[in-house]
This record gives sequence, C-alpha cells and structure tokens, in this order.
Amino acid sequence: MADSNVSYNPLPDGERPRPTRRRSIVLVLSGLLVVGFLVALLSDNGSIAPTNVIDNDNNNVNDNAQNGLNDVSSSSKDPERLRPFTSASSAGVSEKSNRRFGARTASYPWTNNMLSWQRTAFHFQPQKNWMNDPNGPVFYKGWYHLFYQYNPNGAIWGDIVWGHAVSKDLIHWYHLPLAMVADQWYDIMGVWTGSATILPDGKLMMLYTGSTNESVQVQNLAYPADPSDPLLIKWVKYPGNPVLVPPPGIGAKDFRDPTTAWLTSEGKWRIAIGSRINRTGITFVYDTKDFINYELLRGVLHGVPNTGMWECVDFYPVSTTGEHGLDTSHNGPGVKHVVKASMDDDRHDYYAIGTYHEKNVTWVPDNPEIDVGIGIRYDYGLFYASKTFYDQNKKRRVLWGWIGESDSEIADVKKGWASLQGIPRTVALDTKTGSNLLQWPVEEVDSLRLTSKEFKKIELKPGSVMPLDVGSATQLDIVAEFELDKAALEKTAESNVEFSCSSSEGSAERGALGPFGLLVLADDSLSEQTPVYFYIAKGKDGSLKTYFCTDQSRSSEANDVNKSKYGSFVPVLEGEKFSMRVLVDHSIVEGFAQGGRTTITSRVYPTKAIYGAARVFLFNNATGASVTSSLKAWQMNSAFIRPYPDDDDERHSGTEPTYEVRGSKTKYLGNLLTSSLLFLNARNNFL
Amino acid sequence: MKAILFVFPFVLAVAYFPISQCQNLPLIEQTCKQTPYYGLCVTSLKSDPRSKTAGDVQAIALIMVDIIKAKAGGSLQHIEKLKQKYPALRVPLSACKDRFNAIIIGDVPQAVEALTKGDPKFAVDAANDAALEADSCERGFSGKSPITQMNKLNHDISIITASVVKMML
Repeated sequence: MADSNVSYNPLPDGERPRPTRRRSIVLVLSGLLVVGFLVALLSDNGSIAPTNVIDNDNNNVNDNAQNGLNDVSSSSKDPERLRPFTSASSAGVSEKSNRRFGARTASYPWTNNMLSWQRTAFHFQPQKNWMNDPNGPVFYKGWYHLFYQYNPNGAIWGDIVWGHAVSKDLIHWYHLPLAMVADQWYDIMGVWTGSATILPDGKLMMLYTGSTNESVQVQNLAYPADPSDPLLIKWVKYPGNPVLVPPPGIGAKDFRDPTTAWLTSEGKWRIAIGSRINRTGITFVYDTKDFINYELLRGVLHGVPNTGMWECVDFYPVSTTGEHGLDTSHNGPGVKHVVKASMDDDRHDYYAIGTYHEKNVTWVPDNPEIDVGIGIRYDYGLFYASKTFYDQNKKRRVLWGWIGESDSEIADVKKGWASLQGIPRTVALDTKTGSNLLQWPVEEVDSLRLTSKEFKKIELKPGSVMPLDVGSATQLDIVAEFELDKAALEKTAESNVEFSCSSSEGSAERGALGPFGLLVLADDSLSEQTPVYFYIAKGKDGSLKTYFCTDQSRSSEANDVNKSKYGSFVPVLEGEKFSMRVLVDHSIVEGFAQGGRTTITSRVYPTKAIYGAARVFLFNNATGASVTSSLKAWQMNSAFIRPYPDDDDERHSGTEPTYEVRGSKTKYLGNLLTSSLLFLNARNNFL
Repeated sequence: MKAILFVFPFVLAVAYFPISQCQNLPLIEQTCKQTPYYGLCVTSLKSDPRSKTAGDVQAIALIMVDIIKAKAGGSLQHIEKLKQKYPALRVPLSACKDRFNAIIIGDVPQAVEALTKGDPKFAVDAANDAALEADSCERGFSGKSPITQMNKLNHDISIITASVVKMML
C-alpha cells in the first residue's frame, strides 16, 4: 500500500525530512487528494438540513401523528378574529390548545361503552374486521351487489380477500360468504380491487387485480359459477389467468384496479387501468372482444404530471341535459365524460369533466387547471378508492366510497373492526354550473326516516348557539337552510386573506359572515362538538366566496383521534339560499352542501356526546350578520345489516328474507338488542 | 514521479470503491436526507448490518420497520421494569404497554405486508400510527413521564419510516 496518506509528524529532534523539492510537492498533493477522498467518504455529513417531506396537509387522514407534533403554523390573522367561541362551556379554553393533540388532557382510555357506540346503524360495514375499497358494485337479477376489500383475520389491512353483501335497496344489506379468496398464484398476495361489467346478453364479467406470488400486479377475470343464482354466491376464476400483466416499462407494482368496460362503436369492449410513469399519473386503455385477450391501445387515455400513481380509475358518461344516469357504454350528443382517479400520494379522490374521443382514444378535460389530481375532489373529508356503477334498475349512477378510520389503531383492534362504506350517492352533472358533479344520498335513505321535527325561520344573532330538541341525536338526517340579510352581505369589508377550512381555526374563527351552521354530536356543555358549517368570505373584488367545512378539533376529548378541519369552496348561485344536508350515524358525519356540490365525510369519536347525551345545536359565530335558519331533522332507523339467513330454502329462492322491526324472536335482533342495552346502560350513567 | 502517476489511480480505486460499497452510503444518505430526522435515520440504519446490502428504498423501509419492532419490544420490557419501580405510575404505564403492543401486533405486520405485497400506502398508515401510539403513551403521564426519551425515539423512528415509505408512492 502506498504511503501517500501518511501525515507529517515532526521527527523527535524537530527536524523535517527533506526529499527533493519536486517529488515532495507531488507526493504531498497526491497524498492530500487521496486523504481528501477518504475524508469525504467516511465522514458523517452531519447536519445537512433534511428536506421535510412530511405532508402538513391536514386533510390526510393518516397524518395523525403529524397533526399533534408538527404544529401547522397558521397564516397571520387579525387577532380580532380569534375571539373564543361564545359559549358557556368553552370560556377560557383557547382554540389553539385544541388544535394540537390533547394538550390539556391525558392519554384517553377508551371504554367498551365508547367503542361500541361507534358502530353505525345504517352504513355498510361487515360484522367485524377490516374493510377498504368497494369492489364490483352491480345490479344483477333484482339484487344490488357490493363486494369489498376485506381482512378476515383482523382489524388492520392485510390478507385481503373479497367480502360480499346484497341488498334490494342499497340500504338493507345481507352479508354473504366471501366471494373470492387468495387461492391462486396470481392473487395469493392479495385479491385486490376490480369492477363488474354486464354484457348485453346478461352475462357478468368481473375483472380484478391480483398480487401474484412475486407481488406483481396482474389483472384477472372471474365470473359467477352459477349465473342463475341471483345472490351470486359462488365465483369461478378463469383458468387462464392472468389476462393482463404490466406493460413493458411499467412497474410491477404500478398496474391495478381495472374499470367497468364500455362498448366502442366497433363493438369491442374497452377498459381503463391506472398506472404511472415516474411522477405522472396515467391511465392505460385496452380493447377486448372476450375479456380474455386484450390489445393495449397506443398512448394513454389521459395523464397529469406530478400526481403520482392513479389508483381506482373510473371513467363514465354523464348527461348534460338531464339528471338521469347513463349506461357506461353510452355516448353521443348531450354527453360529457368523467375521469376519476384515487391519488396514492395524498389519499384523495379527484374527478374532472371532459370530452372523450373514441376514435383516437383520448379524453380532454374541459378545464385543464382543474384536471384529475389537481382539481375537484368528490369529497373533502375521508373518502377514497371510490367507484361508480350504472344502476339500470333506477337509471342512475351510484357512487360508493371507502371511509377509513381516523382514530388510533389500538382503538380499532380493541373494538374489533375498522372502516365503513359511505352512504351510496347518486352522481350527475350539475347542469347549473356545468363544471362540477352533484352527489346526493340515494333516495332509499329517505325510507329510514322516522319521526321528524321542523324548525322555521329561527333567527340567530351573531355569536349565538341554540339547542334543537330533536330527541335522540346519534342517527339523524338533517336538511337545513340559511339566509343572511342582504345588507350585512353588502356592507362587509373586503378581505385579501384567502380562506381555507383546513388552515383556519375552525368554527371558532369568527369572520363577519361566518361561520354558521350546525353542531352535531355535541354534548350539553359543548365540551365535545362537531360543527358542520358555512363560512362566507368577501374577496378583493367584493365577490362573495362560500366555504363549507367540518371541524373535528373539538369532536372528542380523546387526544389520539384526528382533529383537523375539512372542507372547500362551494359554488352558491344567485338567488340560492345556503343549504346543507347532514347525515349523522354514530361515528360518521356526512355533509352535503348546495344540493351536493361540495361534500364532506368525517369520522368522529366522541367520548361524552354519545348515546342519550348527544345533542344538536344551531350556531352563528359570525360577528357581522344575523342568520335565519329553517330546518327539518329526522330520526333515522337502523338498516339492520346482518347475515343472509342460513335457511337453504330462502337462500335458493333468492327472495328477500323477512324481518321484523320490533320485538321479534328471530336471530336478527342482534344489533338492536345490543344497542338498546347499551343505550339503557348509558342512560343510567347520566341519570 | 512516474511511479506516483501509476500508483495514484490504483490508490484511488482501492480507497474509493470497496469502502463506499461496504457502507452503502449513497442510498442511505440519499434516503435519510428526505426524512425529518437525518442523523437518527443514518445511525439507525447503519446499526443494522442489512443496510449495507439494501438495494432500494423498499429494502430500507423494511429495515426501518424492523427497527420499529425492535424498539417497541425493548420498550415493552422497560415498561415492565418501571411498573415495579414506580407503582404510582401503574395506570399510564399499563396504557403504554397496550400502545406498544398495538404497534407490534398491528402496525408492524401491516407495514411488512403492505411493503412486501405491493401496496405501500398502508405501510405509511401503519408507521404514522406507530408514532401516534408512542405519542399517546407519553401524554398519559401528564408531563411526569419517566420514559420521555424512549417515547421520542419510538416516535421519531416511526416518522422516519413513514417518510421513507412515502418515497415509494
């Protein structure tokens, strides 16, 4: 080994060695060079400031830890606007402490009482364990089918197979056996998301993604073992699977979630599958005649840079003239097409409206500034992996979405389940704006309405809270309208501060024209409350901009739940009142503003505002305007979701099993009995 | 003179090549630079011999998940000892035991499965939850925690893991 990395030490007698001058210079230089290399390689580069890529976007459900620990600094606000919310209970509690995790409370011990209350009454969920994406929704031989990503072994994601349930009305569901399990090499690592296509002759084809024994994402074909069975209990996987593998140049783990197929004018079936090339999210298109052999069409249907992987792509036509839904294959005049994708990066579902060109297999957005992945979201809360299907029974397009949990996993494990499906919604083009969709709970939800209470023209002065006597407040359907007086709207000063629900102080942030709305799942003392509200901001040019928000910061005294605020801008047209519909079903709150132009789904986990202690309030926390509200609130019945009866006769007939609502001796009482007992128990605690 | 010119590149090759490969520094450094706790990220990975041969971000992520598991396990043992030492803190310590258990039986398996089966976003969730559980354990002491450093360590390595997995999305 050369001695060029030796350092100079003085000789004991202080003299330095003296080689010839030129040689010594070269030696020193090369020695220093090599030493320099070694130093560069071996030393810790120490404190290079790392790029913090932790997403401070409070809308990401999974940033639970970050919400508490990386305080999102709010933009500088007028201190005038930070007056505490006017209410007896929250006097003295600053909103800042509520933004962080439990700054004032100790770690929350979840009791079984609190946890079992969280199960919903009329939203789809399996009896236990984990669920995620809705799969293959379809109406077939008189039944609505819902399949879903399911873990049969626990309340966390894993061991994914296809769960299955059926319903006559999208509300009352019956659990059926698992439709498909991970029993082939091509789906042994996961039977993942897929879609159903009904052919003109009535045949049903199911395409789904399998994760193979080498964790490669492939597309597989499956079909009913017995097409005459309306319950579609047994499924067969095509023996020649997989029918599609990742195209050349595409990552083995970047190819999943095939769509429902649509017919082209040449009589071929066409499907879309999401993927990505570097950071550009894209969707491939394939043509097929038999669902077995496919032709990858040149290019992509569409792609948007910097959006990352596109999961759960959906592609469907909407009518520009009417509110009825269109079959997925429908095309022609009076039609626009929607491209939707779930962004793997930020866990949100985005859609864009545009024009589909069948011949050159492209789709062009009407407005590239609000393209897929960068524009409008279906929902501004928790809503992912959504999928629509055309319901030929009622000629509408129905949207399903996976609603995850925003509590801690320890609670999920304790309560034994995780996730819900959102309430199914109809989707249609908003013909008044032309630039967004409208989503509304399916009309069958109305059949759950029991008793109602109506309130007419209640005036709420600035800074007021008014309790609403609606009876029990954990299963509610509320439709509310609000009006502000014109003078207040006109005289309000303009502001150049851009408002955002998520970076605001929530319902405690008082503006001249907002916030106002409802407080749901609140207790009497308002120590827990979930505001669903409007906030009107006046822009620089004097124009009014309305925002629709849900504020979770005080939804629960527990500190291990998500406390962020959700929401977005909502278009309000000339002459329209501010209107919202809110569905409350235990731990889920879904808000629909202006007929469904903007929607927000949240999961809330109160510790006190549960069972008989839950209340509803109207509130107006604006400083400069009174608000007049009229509303109607219905108690909502349970949907009694339960297993399909074991009785062979009933199962073969495929008719709907009978069930009683009250006092029956049948085994279907399960949920009703349990919840009644718990309710009584809870009431005893409060008396 | 000629001898030095001849020897110099050889020295460089010998000096540069094997050392950098042994440490796998470019991958570790490149990855850790994109996390909020660079130093901890590098020292944690370097302490695991597998990091020397890790070929991609996924391999790094799996190592980090293993570190979460090891630290959580160690924390559980420590908590057991503390229960004897501080009987007055029995309640929050038991809550912490539940939290770290949840990390080991829930978050870690979910993260491993998500990474190996090819849907990494669920590993981000699991890692973020592990940080949340450690944080919740700490809050249970209302400021008088005997395990603050331990909880912070668990929290930080979980956050590092989440940001490493996010690079795969």
